[in-house]
Formats: sequence, C-alpha cells, structure tokens
Amino acid sequence: MTQQAEDYTVAELMCVAIAREIEDGDVIVLGSFTPLAYASYILAKITHAPNSTLLAYAAVDFRPFALSFIRAESCATRGAACLWTMLEDLNSVHLKGRGDVEAISSIQADQHGNINLSVVGDYNSPKLRGPGGAGAPEVIKMHRKMLGYFPNHSKMTFVPQVDVITGTRYVIGAEERIKAGYRPGPIRYITGLCVMAKEEKDKPFKIESLHPGVTAEQVMENTGFDLEVPKDIPTTKKPTAEQVRLLREEVDPYGTVQFDFKPGKERLGYLNEILNKELQAIGYD
Amino acid sequence: MTTENKVGKLGDITKIIKDGDKVAIGGSWLGGHPMAIIREIIRSGIKNLTAITVVGSVDIDMLIGAGCLSRLMFSFVSMEAFGLAPNFRRAIEKEGLPYDELTGLAVIIGLEAGGRNVSFLPYRGPFGSDLVKYRPEFYKEIDCPFTGEKLIAAAAIVPDVAIIHGTRADCTGNVQIEGTSGTDLEMMRAAKKRIVSVEEVVSGEEIRREPLKTKVPKFQVDMVIEAPLGAHPCSCAPDYVFDPWHIMKYMQAASSPETFKQYLDEYVMKPEFEYLDAIGGMRQAAVLKRLAREVKYL
Repeated sequence: MTQQAEDYTVAELMCVAIAREIEDGDVIVLGSFTPLAYASYILAKITHAPNSTLLAYAAVDFRPFALSFIRAESCATRGAACLWTMLEDLNSVHLKGRGDVEAISSIQADQHGNINLSVVGDYNSPKLRGPGGAGAPEVIKMHRKMLGYFPNHSKMTFVPQVDVITGTRYVIGAEERIKAGYRPGPIRYITGLCVMAKEEKDKPFKIESLHPGVTAEQVMENTGFDLEVPKDIPTTKKPTAEQVRLLREEVDPYGTVQFDFKPGKERLGYLNEILNKELQAIGYD
Repeated sequence: MTTENKVGKLGDITKIIKDGDKVAIGGSWLGGHPMAIIREIIRSGIKNLTAITVVGSVDIDMLIGAGCLSRLMFSFVSMEAFGLAPNFRRAIEKEGLPYDELTGLAVIIGLEAGGRNVSFLPYRGPFGSDLVKYRPEFYKEIDCPFTGEKLIAAAAIVPDVAIIHGTRADCTGNVQIEGTSGTDLEMMRAAKKRIVSVEEVVSGEEIRREPLKTKVPKFQVDMVIEAPLGAHPCSCAPDYVFDPWHIMKYMQAASSPETFKQYLDEYVMKPEFEYLDAIGGMRQAAVLKRLAREVKYL
C-alpha cells in the first residue's frame, strides 16, 4: 500500500501534498469548483481524514463525489447533510475562526502573506482587472491554516510586494494570532516546484521541501523575494501508487485536476474534451 | 376577500425596476442567477443601474455588455473555468466603469445590516486590506464600546430592488429554494422591493407540505414570475446544471463588442419564450437536468 508511484504528474504530487495538510476532523471550506483543491480534500476524506467536514456552495458535510466541472454543485447539494446560506456559513465557521483550512490561489502573492486578486498595475488604471477576492481576502486570516496553491511557481506570481493587497493573513505568529482571537497555524504554499511556509511575521518564507528533481536554486530564481533556504531540504514525498490510483480512477476520472496546469490557450479545448466524455458517460454524444 | 396574487409577467418588472436603481442580484458563481429577469432588464432598456453582487458571473457580465450599468458593487466576478469575465474586464480596463470592490464578507454583512435596519455591523474585518483604504465609505475602524478591541464597521447596503431565482413559489410569494441560496435571503431582507423568478408557481398547499424548504416568506416578496429554466445558462441546483456549451459560446461572443451585440440579438432581444428554442430546446434542457441527477459518491 505504501509503494511509491512510478508514474505521476506534478498535479498529482501537489494534490497529495495538499491532502497531507488535512487532519482528521478538520472543517474544510471550499468555494465553487476548483479542481486541485477539491481533489485534494476528497482524497484526504476518503483516506486519512474520514471525519473531516466538507463545506461548499450551500452544502455542509457533503458526501465525497467523483469530480466534474458541471456537476460539482449538484453533487455537493444532493449529498449535503445540511444546506446553509452564505451568512450562516460566516456566522458559524468563518467569523469564529472555526474553519481549519480553505486552499486559495491568487494572481500575486508576496513575502508578507498578502494576496492580490484585484488588479495588476495601478488600481485606478489597471493593466489587468482580476476577478476580485470573494471570501479569500478575509478567510485567510480567520482559518487556522492559510494554504495556497500555485501550479505556476514564477516571479510573476511571487512578487516582493503585491500591486494591491486584496487580503492578508495579517496576524501571523502563534502568539499574535491567539491574542487576536484566532487559532495559530502557518501560511503554507504548495507550488509546482516546492512547499514553502511562513510562521512568523518577521521571518521569510522557508523552503520546507523540494519536489523531486527540483533544486533550491531553481526555486530562488523563480521567486521574487528572499527565502530561507535550509542546508538539507527534504524532497516532497511522492504520491503512493494507491493515491495515484484513487485520484485517477475514483476521485477525478475525467482529469479535471490537469486543467489548472494547462496553458491558458489550451484550457477551453481541454474543458470541451472533458465535457464530451461526461456526456458520453450518460449516454449522450 | 380575494387571495393576494403577486404573479406577474416578465414584462412587469419595469413597474418595479427603474432607471438608476441599485439592484442586488442573487445567485452565486455560475449558480442560481435570475437570468430571465436579467435578459428582461436588457430587453426593456433599463439603464444606469448599480448592480450589487457578492459572487457574480454571466449575470453581471451580460448587464455590463448590454450597457445597463453605470456602477458596480462586487466582491468577485468571474466566469470561473471559462475565464475572466470579458465585458467586465473590458468595461473596467478600457472604459472606466466606476466600481466599488469590497471583500465578500463586507457585502454579506452590509446586506445583513441593511436587513436589520441599522447603518452598520461590526466584525473582525479586513485589517490591512487595500480595499479598506480605497473605499473608506464602506469600512470604518471602530473601537468596541465594551472591550476596546479594534473592529471594522461594514456599512449597511440597502438595494432599491433585489432579484433572485428560486425553485418554486406560491402566488402570494412564499419562495422555496432547494439548492445554493448564496446571499439571496440577505438581499431580500435588505432591499426595498423584491422580485423572484421561480421554476414553477405552485399552490399554497404544496408549499406547506415542506415548509422547511421555504426560505423567503411572502411579505418579503413583491412580485413572483414563473420562468422555467430561468437561471439558464446558470444552474438551478439541484435541478439542472449550468450549460457549459452555451457559456463557451457566450465567452466567444463576449470577446468583442461587435460579436457580443450579435449574441444579444440572437438570445436576448427576442421574447423570452423563444429563448429555450434558441439554446437547443427541450433536448438541451433534458441534458442539463439529467446531468444534475447523475451523481457518483465515493
């Protein structure tokens, strides 16, 4: 069972790394369908964290399902133990700091734990108008852990200072967090190259592990701020053969997780392929 | 005594929604937006609206592309896997559409304040966020009168009109929502007037058979409109999924103002009863409903 997989993708490696962040009993918050985050949580739920609570859309404690772009919402809704409004969600989970984790991603992220989902360039004359942050800018402070996933580890994403602080972890060190009424926990980013974390306001992000075949130099070259680089950095644990099988055969049979790793131009084509497979599976073509 | 009847036709929305109104739009992500009403707003030529959304998508993008908005309040607008919202981006990056970008929690809590009839509600808000700095009219740092803790006051949001889409309602306006309700309830409590479109208008007896599904009571509703598939191309969970094939068409059309005008001519600037045929008829509706039932749990 613990046999390492011979053949796995970076997406699968990241999934397993995010899943490892989930502890049994965690309250896990999701927004709408983001393949990498959903795959990781559902993998955790069906393996080492069966007592975790999954929340997405209006659905609370929904049963884990096989991933689909189109059906995620109806699967979560039909499999829910309880259906909440967003306000009930806030009042029950977020504002009280009851959430353990909600993996986020961002257009830019900096050395201070700030994220930018708003604007690249000047706020009043943007080069790129991003989608905005929805819950992300505030929940990254409230949940126990701040977990970010960044398939494309580059200087475009990891900048010294984000152009606009849509949101921030704000209180970082354990003592500071407890004083502010939040549970302590790290900022941890799982990227296409490594796992890195920040646990104190005045200390830099530290490379915790390097993905197989990646060097510390490579990570530093692709990061726009200084990192703590320990002498001996462990290699990110490879997925086991069983984890890869579960991801491919059970959790994500249509390969939605690869979506985040496709270049922008190929995404719609890939999505179309998946949609056609899903149609065929229910007898339409 | 006659029973009150709030059932209207789509065309009746102009009795409630006026040029220049602030309109809160229900639904979230690609789910449950009141798209039949959105199309009717465009068809009726209502202008200069301020749209209020928490997590918007095709609803907001379509209103912007059709020139109905003079301002936007949002925390998130995206077409999700399909990409960034094209008209939204163009209007802000190129045409300077004025907007108020708030954190999602501030919009939700602001609406709740509106519903409670107070001017703000405090919470441990987004300290350190630039959005607070850019929009001080929506955020104020205050001291807790009991403990002295620094808190953020989120300003109340009071829309002129709220529009939402639900599963079913009776003719008096008791509304059941079976899927994602997002911030629909908060919008309905906060707004001065409210319109709900539903998949089906049913009897009061049917509503009373499952009262736990009723999310909005009749005194919070001014007009009920029967609009089957009224959230399309968005979903109405758990009855039908969003229509990814239509959304891909939309994305292509919205890539330029010229092609978007063709989209509006083809799908919006016609009577709503022709819409179903335009999007693929009963067969397409059946596919979307079938997909919503095909769930596989692990």
